[in-house]
Amino acid sequence: MALTIAVVAREVWDTRDLSGTVLDENGRLRPGALPTRYEPEDLNALEAALRLKDAQGATVTVLSPGEVRQVDVAREALYRGADGAVRIAADPDELDDAALGALLAAAIRKLGSVNLVLVGTAVPDTAGSLLARHLAQALGWPAILWVDAIEETAADRVIARRAIEMGYESVEAPLPALLAIGVALLEDDPRAPRPAKAMLKLKLKKAEVPVWTPAELGIPDPAARCVTRRRRREPVPPRVIETRTVDPENEAELRAMLDSVRKGA
Amino acid sequence: MSRVLVIAEVADGVFNDISLQCLAAARALAGPEGEVEAMLVGASVRPHAARLAAGGADYVTVVDDARLATYTTEPWLAAARAQLAAAPAAAVLLPATTIGNDLGPALAASLGAASVVDADGVAIEDGRPVAWRVGFDRKVRTTWAPEGDRPLVATLRDGAAPMPGPDAARAGTIRTLALDEVLAGGGFLTKVVRRDVAARTVNLRDADVIVAAGAGVGSPEGVDLVRRLAAALGGEVGATRAVVDAGWLSADRQIGQTGATVRPDLYIACGISGAIQHRVGMLDSRTVIAINTDPNAPIFRSAHYRIVGDLKAVIPKLLKLLS
Repeated sequence: MALTIAVVAREVWDTRDLSGTVLDENGRLRPGALPTRYEPEDLNALEAALRLKDAQGATVTVLSPGEVRQVDVAREALYRGADGAVRIAADPDELDDAALGALLAAAIRKLGSVNLVLVGTAVPDTAGSLLARHLAQALGWPAILWVDAIEETAADRVIARRAIEMGYESVEAPLPALLAIGVALLEDDPRAPRPAKAMLKLKLKKAEVPVWTPAELGIPDPAARCVTRRRRREPVPPRVIETRTVDPENEAELRAMLDSVRKGA
Repeated sequence: MSRVLVIAEVADGVFNDISLQCLAAARALAGPEGEVEAMLVGASVRPHAARLAAGGADYVTVVDDARLATYTTEPWLAAARAQLAAAPAAAVLLPATTIGNDLGPALAASLGAASVVDADGVAIEDGRPVAWRVGFDRKVRTTWAPEGDRPLVATLRDGAAPMPGPDAARAGTIRTLALDEVLAGGGFLTKVVRRDVAARTVNLRDADVIVAAGAGVGSPEGVDLVRRLAAALGGEVGATRAVVDAGWLSADRQIGQTGATVRPDLYIACGISGAIQHRVGMLDSRTVIAINTDPNAPIFRSAHYRIVGDLKAVIPKLLKLLS
């Protein structure tokens, strides 16, 4: 059985190394305070799907919730080799994982004949829980989380290697199934999935990406599916650390540092 | 609050003591009049039940079966659902591990309960449980609550609650539940077909001095320098996930969001850029020395001593001064 794969692609706030304040006086995210990016583990999930396509043939469709903010992740996925992309017209920052999972599950059913769903394991800063588990529940499918390699696929099952605290486990699940991909997907460079292809960029620059509304998916009020409510956001006072620069070429400075920390330790 | 359930964790025979922190948090949520239940699921887990009772559980339910030697979602989920059907709880707490972060959301999704993973704390607000997590590069604390009167299922990070001292006088009531009764005809959808899991050899949380290696060490030889510095200071060797993934150090030495949370007197970060996933595991160290070639590495924002240089040149100098 050929694989028909749906891949979730989220555009998330890039919260690495933030400078300045993030919240306004009402506890809302300040517009323009944050850049966005393709959720890295979702990008790994796309890479895993494309590798399956390269190795054995598969149809890969990307589902991207939310309007484009700064990075058009659906189009980015097409440029990397996805066969199709669909936007889901709902703001993921205003839904919990149960509601978002229900919407995505409805979209997967609408795609039809999907037998493998791939999504990143990461929990974005705006999310309370793990989308993968809520999506699997909404689909009624088994799931394997923290996957860093898809070892084997057959007509009726998949074996995936998942990373756990003290090593790895290879886990088998019957298809259809959901795999949540972790950060260590690629052995050579876990953070470097394939780049966009220039040829596909030219070809697909103006390709239409269809938008499915919640009503079209049979969930006209997705917020009514929320079971977890964000109560508030508060700023965390910055940690004030007095940092001393030590010149590695200056033996006296190195010695003074060691003496100081050994006295304190 | 009437009742709080803690699903404790024993993996490969090792009791995860964040389970005890969950008990402390559960007691705070339940209040003096409430009940704290604990649950243990696995193979040969029965001997750990007394530890949960001594740690504050009023009742401990054990599902102990040889078929549960390795974690898979379905039987654990079935056991938790059976427990909650018999004794409904307003909140369920689990350690934020790969098991807890799989089981917690699965349980919440199957019950229609609220779900928060990697929580830094839980509390009662307006009579209902809430959970919070610090995110956005540690600039924002977000608090979540259940909609309506649904239960809250939360996984707690190491340090989210104090470690309770054991009270040997506490016996608690220990009950057993048969796996076949729990499964009620359901099966194991997923199965573990192979494992490559190392035994835990070190508990970094007890170390006073940690010298940690990041991707910047570049090779096993770089890790060897880190080992020598740790030995000279009487400390332990820690690692970032990149170093563990490269196979240069074992997983029990990993520090950060998916590893240990440590608070040593001295933490020396060698070739660690300082991604937030790592920094959340070492931010509370008393003194931090960071060695990195990149003058703009984020780790320097958490460091008391900043050394811009190649660790392969700096560590030998430190070793010479220590000898």
